[in-house]
Amino acid sequence: MTSTASTTPHRAARPAYLMTLLFLLALASLALAIFLGVVDLNPSDTLAALTGHGSPEARAIILDIRLPRILTGMLAGIHFALAGLLLQSITRNPLADPSLMGVSQGAMLAVSGFLVFTVYSHDTGSTTLQELPVHWLPLIGTLGGLAAGGFIYLIAFRRDLGPLRITLCGIAVGAVLHAIGIGLMAGWGSGRLEVLLEWFSGSLYARGWQHALFLLPFTAAGLAVLPIIRRPMELLRFDATVARSFGLSYRAQFSVVLLVACALAASAVGVVGPVVFVGLIVPHMARFLAGRQTRIVLPLTVALGAIAMTLADLAGRLAGGAEEIPIGVVTAICGVPLLVALLRKTP
Amino acid sequence: MLTATNLSICYGPRKALDNFNIALAPGEIRALIGPNGSGKSTALQGMAGLVKPEAGAVTIDGAQMSGMTRREIAHRLSFLPQQPTAPDEMTVEQLVRQGRFAHVGLFRRYRREDEDAIAWALESTGLAPLAERPLSALSGGERQRAWISAALAQEAKVLLLDEPTTFLDIGYQIEVLDLVHRLSRERGVTVVMAIHDLNQAMSIADRITLMEKGRVVFDGTSDALAESGLIEQVFRVEGRFVQIASDGPPHFDVHLKRWSGKRGFESAKHAPAS
Repeated sequence: MTSTASTTPHRAARPAYLMTLLFLLALASLALAIFLGVVDLNPSDTLAALTGHGSPEARAIILDIRLPRILTGMLAGIHFALAGLLLQSITRNPLADPSLMGVSQGAMLAVSGFLVFTVYSHDTGSTTLQELPVHWLPLIGTLGGLAAGGFIYLIAFRRDLGPLRITLCGIAVGAVLHAIGIGLMAGWGSGRLEVLLEWFSGSLYARGWQHALFLLPFTAAGLAVLPIIRRPMELLRFDATVARSFGLSYRAQFSVVLLVACALAASAVGVVGPVVFVGLIVPHMARFLAGRQTRIVLPLTVALGAIAMTLADLAGRLAGGAEEIPIGVVTAICGVPLLVALLRKTP
Repeated sequence: MLTATNLSICYGPRKALDNFNIALAPGEIRALIGPNGSGKSTALQGMAGLVKPEAGAVTIDGAQMSGMTRREIAHRLSFLPQQPTAPDEMTVEQLVRQGRFAHVGLFRRYRREDEDAIAWALESTGLAPLAERPLSALSGGERQRAWISAALAQEAKVLLLDEPTTFLDIGYQIEVLDLVHRLSRERGVTVVMAIHDLNQAMSIADRITLMEKGRVVFDGTSDALAESGLIEQVFRVEGRFVQIASDGPPHFDVHLKRWSGKRGFESAKHAPAS
C-alpha cells in the first residue's frame, strides 16, 4: 500500500497562489470602485474622506454613497454566485441559476404586488421614489423569493425529490409567477413603472448602509454553513442511488443545500433585483480556474462573485455618465460572451 | 451477515419483488440470475435498503436495516448500481475518495487509514496509474473498475454488484470476477452479484439464486441447479449441462436452432463429454 502523500505538495501550491491572487484582485476592485465615480474626486480627497477628514461633500460621496453601495454589491455578488453554484451542483444542471427555483420571479411578484397594494391603499398620487415605501422592498422581495422557492420544493418533495422534477417545477412555477408579475405591472399604469423597472433590471442605484446590513446576516449564515455542506455537495452531484450508497442522507442534505441557496438568492434579489448571469457564470469561471482542484471551487466562487459585481457596477456607473447603466444590463451584456468563451474551453 | 426475510417491493401496482428470502454466509459469493425483469436489481436495491419494502425486513450483522442511517449502512454494505454516472470532470481518485464518506463524514480529516484504503482500492483494480485521469477520458472497462474501486474504498464487509460485467469485454469480465474471488477469499467480503452469464455465475458463485417474475425459484449450488432442469424452463431455451473439467463447475451448453441439422459436424469437432 502506498500513500498518496507524495502528490500532495504540488497540488497545494497552485490553489494557494490562485486564492491570494483573487483576494488581491478583490481588494483592487474595491479600491478602484471607491476611487472612481461620476463625481470626480481626486485620490487625495478620497483618501482624506476615508480616514474621516476632507470636505463634508467628499465624505458624503465616499462614505454614504459609494462605500455602502460597493459593499452591498459585493455581498449580493457573493449571494448570487454561491446560490448558482449550489443549485448547479444539486440539480446537476450547468444552466441553473437563482431564477431556476422561481426565486427571482417570486421576489418580483411580491415586490410588484406590494407596490400596487400600498399605492392604491394610500394613494399619494406620487410617482417619485422617495414617497413610495421602497425601504420595505428588500424584505418583501426576500420573503417572496423564499415563498416561491419553498412552494417549488414542496411540490417536488411530495413525490420523489429528483433534480429533474425540481428543475421542471421551478421553470413552470417561475413562468406563472413572472406572468402574474408582468400582468400586475401592465395593469398598474405606466406612470409609476419607473421604480419597478429600475428594480427589475437589477440595480445598485441608491443602495446604502441599510441594504448592506440587511444582507450581512444572510451572508454570514451562508458562509458559516459552507464547511458543513462541502462534502455533501460533492456527493449530491451523483445519482441519488449512488450518493445514498456512499452513505449520504440524500433528502436531508439536498434540502439543506437548497434552503441555503434559496435564502442567499432571495435576499440578494430582494435588495438589488434580479441581476442576471452572475449566478450562472461565476461558478463556471470558478470551476474553470480551479480545474481539478475541486476543493477551491467554493472559495473561488465567493471571491469571484464579489469581484464580478463590483467591476460590473463600476462599469455601469462610469459608462453611462450621469445616467448610469443598471448593473443587471452590464452583467447581461458581459455575461453572454463570457459564457460562450467558457463553453468553448470546457471539454 | 446479511439476510432478507419475506421482502416484497412494489413499484406502483406492479409487484417487482415477491416474498424474497436470502441468507448470506460471511465471505460467500452469491450469484443472482434470472431473465430480464425478474427482479434481480430490485432485490439488490432492497438488500441495500434503497427502496422502502412493502413487507418484510433486511438485517445486517443482526440489526434491522430500516432503523439505520445511510452512513451506518454504508459502513457495513456497499452497493454498485448498474451503469452509474458521475460528474464528467471528476478524476478516478476523486471518485474513489467519495467511497470514504461513510468513514470521514462531514468534518473529519482524511487520516492515514483513509489514504491507505484509497490506495489499496486503486491498486486492487489496477487503476493506480490512472488515478489522476478524468472519468470522461476512460474506456468503459476502466470506468467500471473505477466504480468498483470506489465501492472497495468503502471497506464494507458486504458488496452488492448489479451486473458488474455487463458492457465489458471478456478480458475485463474475467478481471472483475477474479477480483470478486480475491475479495471473498482474502478479505472475507460477502459478495452478491446480479449477472447474466450463466457459466460465469456457476464458475464463480458458492451459491446461486435463480429468480423469475420477482420470486426466488431456486437457491442452491451450481450442481444442484444443473440437476434441477430449471434453467431451460425459466429462460425458455434448450440445452444441456456438460462437465468440462472433472472438478470444475457444470457448463451450460445452449442448443441453437441453426445447428439442429448439423449435429454430426458439431459432435465430430467438439467431442462433448457426456
